[in-house]
Parts: sequence; structure tokens; C-alpha cells
Amino acid sequence: MIRFVRDMVRVLCSPCRDHVALFSQQIDTPLSRGETFGLRLHILYCGGCRRFIEHLRHMQSLGQVLAQQAENQSGLPADVRSRIHARLAKATKKI
Amino acid sequence: MVDTDVPSGTMSEAEPVYGASRAVDSREVAARRWVADHGDILWKFAIARTKSRDIAEEIVQETVLAAMQGYQSFAGGSSERTWLLGIAAHKIADYFRRVRRAQSARLPAISPDATCVCATCRGMFNNKGMWACIAGKWPEVNQSEAEKIEQTKALLACIDALPPGQSEAVWLRDILGIPAGEVCKAMGLTDTNLWSRMHRARMAMRSCLETKFGLRKEKVQ
Repeated sequence: MIRFVRDMVRVLCSPCRDHVALFSQQIDTPLSRGETFGLRLHILYCGGCRRFIEHLRHMQSLGQVLAQQAENQSGLPADVRSRIHARLAKATKKI
Repeated sequence: MVDTDVPSGTMSEAEPVYGASRAVDSREVAARRWVADHGDILWKFAIARTKSRDIAEEIVQETVLAAMQGYQSFAGGSSERTWLLGIAAHKIADYFRRVRRAQSARLPAISPDATCVCATCRGMFNNKGMWACIAGKWPEVNQSEAEKIEQTKALLACIDALPPGQSEAVWLRDILGIPAGEVCKAMGLTDTNLWSRMHRARMAMRSCLETKFGLRKEKVQ
């Protein structure tokens, strides 16, 4: 409970520059409950951070479209595959 | 080559040669398996990044060869696919570094105020660390197919404008969706390094997209 309050207060007292770092970090790793709650409270009154989150989500969805486009491309072509196998065989002889 | 130091009964004279060739064989077998199992994803990744069949082929070949040579160093902390994608990401980053070095004489100098390369994010915040201006709303992704294509092109251009180390982290983490822990292992980064690299990259991409979408910021009252 003490840690929760301490983390929340720390987040609420820090500037937006630190919040955006936490919003980004949150994508890669879960934050503490206090930090998460502090950020939620903060975006209730901060339009700049709300817009920043919108943009992060927008970039993520664009990233998914990009991933889908990459996925839709055809796989390793047969001629490239055979050239790679040939080079592997050559490299193995050298080792 | 006579291994006099080898205690009798543990290894015959002929065995080291057989062992070495077996190690090479097993490496080649593993490399062939990587091409069979992960060749498609490596190819898609390389072609999506470089847009060139020749360069993508070179990158996939170099990736498999490097993996073959560094087979012993694969600790197994990440999946084999992530490990190979990490090697490919390094190769692609090297390629873009070479391209940039060759182009640097022709490229215009980047102004520190250019929003597209806002690495430090100065200008976005005032001296108290609060927003200096609120960015505009971006056009919806799902508006139309043409809009989607235009926006993904803009995102690609912005990722390409990032420093190579950042753009490869963005590809592995945000586009291919590889878990952060695996990306750290594949790229040899600590958690903190990855977070700060991703944060800088996302801030720069956001500024770059703002420029591409042609939006104006409004001053905070």
C-alpha cells in the first residue's frame, strides 16, 4: 500500500516529459500499480498526454498494418533458397 | 594432431577429426533447417526493410552464415527465430549505416529544430517539462484503403529516418511484435537500454509523422 501511494504520488508530481517515457515503457513492460494508477489520473486532466497516447496507439495500429503487409509478401523464393544452400555448402567446406 | 594429452579410453586418435566434421555437419544441418523453418520470415523481414531482392538475399545469406559461425554462442535464452531475426536486424542496420555513410555528403544537414529527428524532444516541452504545445489529431487509419497505404508509407519513411539501431528495435518490437525480453536478448540490450531506445524512437517517429501528416501544433494556453 505504501509503495502504491508512493509510486502514484511520484507520477502525479512529475512533469509530462517523464509521463511520456512511462507511457512508452508501459508498451514494453508492465508498470507498478501505483504508476499505472497515477498515469490514469494524470490523463484525466492532461490533454497533451491524452493526445500522446492517441498517437502511440495510432502508430501501433499502423505498425500492425505494416506487419500484415510484410506477412502478405511471398516467402523465400526457390531460386534464392537454392543459392543460399549452395553458399552454405561452400562455407561448410571452408570451415 | 596426435592428442597425447588425451587420457586413453576417452577418445581415440581418429575421433577428433570425426568429431570436428560431425560438428561442421551438424552446423550445416542446422543452417539448412533454419533456411527451411525460418527462411520465409527472414526473407519477408529483409525485403520489407530493404525493398530490394538482391539486398534481401544477401542479408538472409549473411544471417544464416553468421548464425552458423556463432552457433555455439546461441544461449537459447530467446527462441531460435528471434535469435535469427536479431542477427538479421544487425545485418540490416549495418547495411543502412553503409548507405547513410555513402549518402551523408549529399544529404542536407539536419537542423536541431527539425521535428523529424527530435531525439532529445526539446521544443516539445517547456523548461518545466510540461507540454509546450498540444499536437494535432491524426487522420483515422481506417478511413480508406488509400489513406491506410499513405499512412503506412509515411510510417516506413519515418522508421527509415531513425538511426539504424533504433529502427531495427522498432521493427522487432513494434512491427514484428516480438516480446521485449526476447528483443533484449537478440540485440544484446538491457531492459533499460531497450526502453530508452524505444522511447527515443517512438518520440522521433511521432514528430516525423506529424511533419508528414502536415499538422500544426497549437500552443498551450
